[in-house]
Amino acid sequence: MIDSQQASAALNDINDVVHRVRQSRIYQNASLIIVMWGALVFVGYLANYTWPPQGYTIWAVVDLIGIAGSIAIAAFSGIGPGAGAYALRLLVAFLLFIAFGIFCSAVLGHFGPRQMLVFWPLFTMLFYALAGLWFGYAFIVIALCSSALIVTAYFYAGPALLLWMAVVHGGALILGGLWMRRI
Amino acid sequence: MAELDEIIHQPLRLRIMAALHALPASTGLEFARLKKLTGATDGNLGAHIETLARAGYVAVDKAFVGKKPQTTVTATAAGRGAFARHVATLQEIIAGKQP
Repeated sequence: MIDSQQASAALNDINDVVHRVRQSRIYQNASLIIVMWGALVFVGYLANYTWPPQGYTIWAVVDLIGIAGSIAIAAFSGIGPGAGAYALRLLVAFLLFIAFGIFCSAVLGHFGPRQMLVFWPLFTMLFYALAGLWFGYAFIVIALCSSALIVTAYFYAGPALLLWMAVVHGGALILGGLWMRRI
Repeated sequence: MAELDEIIHQPLRLRIMAALHALPASTGLEFARLKKLTGATDGNLGAHIETLARAGYVAVDKAFVGKKPQTTVTATAAGRGAFARHVATLQEIIAGKQP
C-alpha cells in the first residue's frame, strides 16, 4: 500500500498527462483549420491579384468556404458528444467576428482596399493571440509571427502587397498549422 | 477496502492509461504521439503497452498507412473501468479513508 503523499503524486501525474492530451487534441483540430485557412487565403490573394475588380466577391467566397470548412472540421473532430455544440459556438464566433470587423472597417473606419487587405488578417491574428492565452502558446507564436510579417508587408511591399500577403499570411498560416501538429 | 491495481500503478503504465482514458471511448492514440505525451522511450513504451494488453486493459491495432507501419493503442472497457477504480482508490487514500 502507498501513503497519501505517494497517492497525491500519482494523481498529479495523471492530471499532467490529461492536460497534455487535451492540449494535443486542441492543437490537432486547430491545426487542420489553420492549414485550411492558409491555403484558402493564399488562393484568395492570388485570385485578387489576378482579378482586382472581383476582390469583394473573391473574399466573400473564400470566407464562406473557410467558415463552412471550419465548422465541418469542428463537427467531425472526434471530440465526442460535445462536437455539435462546439461547432455551433464556432459559427456564432465567426458571425460576431465578421459583424464587428465590418462595423470597424466599413462603418467607423471607411478603410481603403489597402487597409482592408491588412485589417482582416491582423484582426484574425488578434483572436489567435487571445485564444493562445487559454489554449496554448502555439497560437500566440503564430499570431505574433504573422502579424509582424503582415505589418512589414503593409509598409514595404508597395504594389506587390497582394503577392506578399499570399506568401506571408497564407504561408505563415500553413507553416504555423503544420508546426502545431508536431508539438 | 479497495485495492490499488498493481498493473496500472507502475508510473509509466499509469501515464499510458491516463492518456488513453482522457480520450472518448474507442478513440486511440498513435504510438509516436503516446510516446510524446507520456515522455517514454520506444522500448520502454512497447514493453509496458504489452503488459497492459496482456491484462486486457488496452487493444493494440497495427496497420500500414501508405508504406509506414502505424500502431494505435486504445483503452478497452475493462481498462477504463480498472483505471477509474484505481483513481478512486488513490482519492480514498488521500482522503484518509484507507490506511
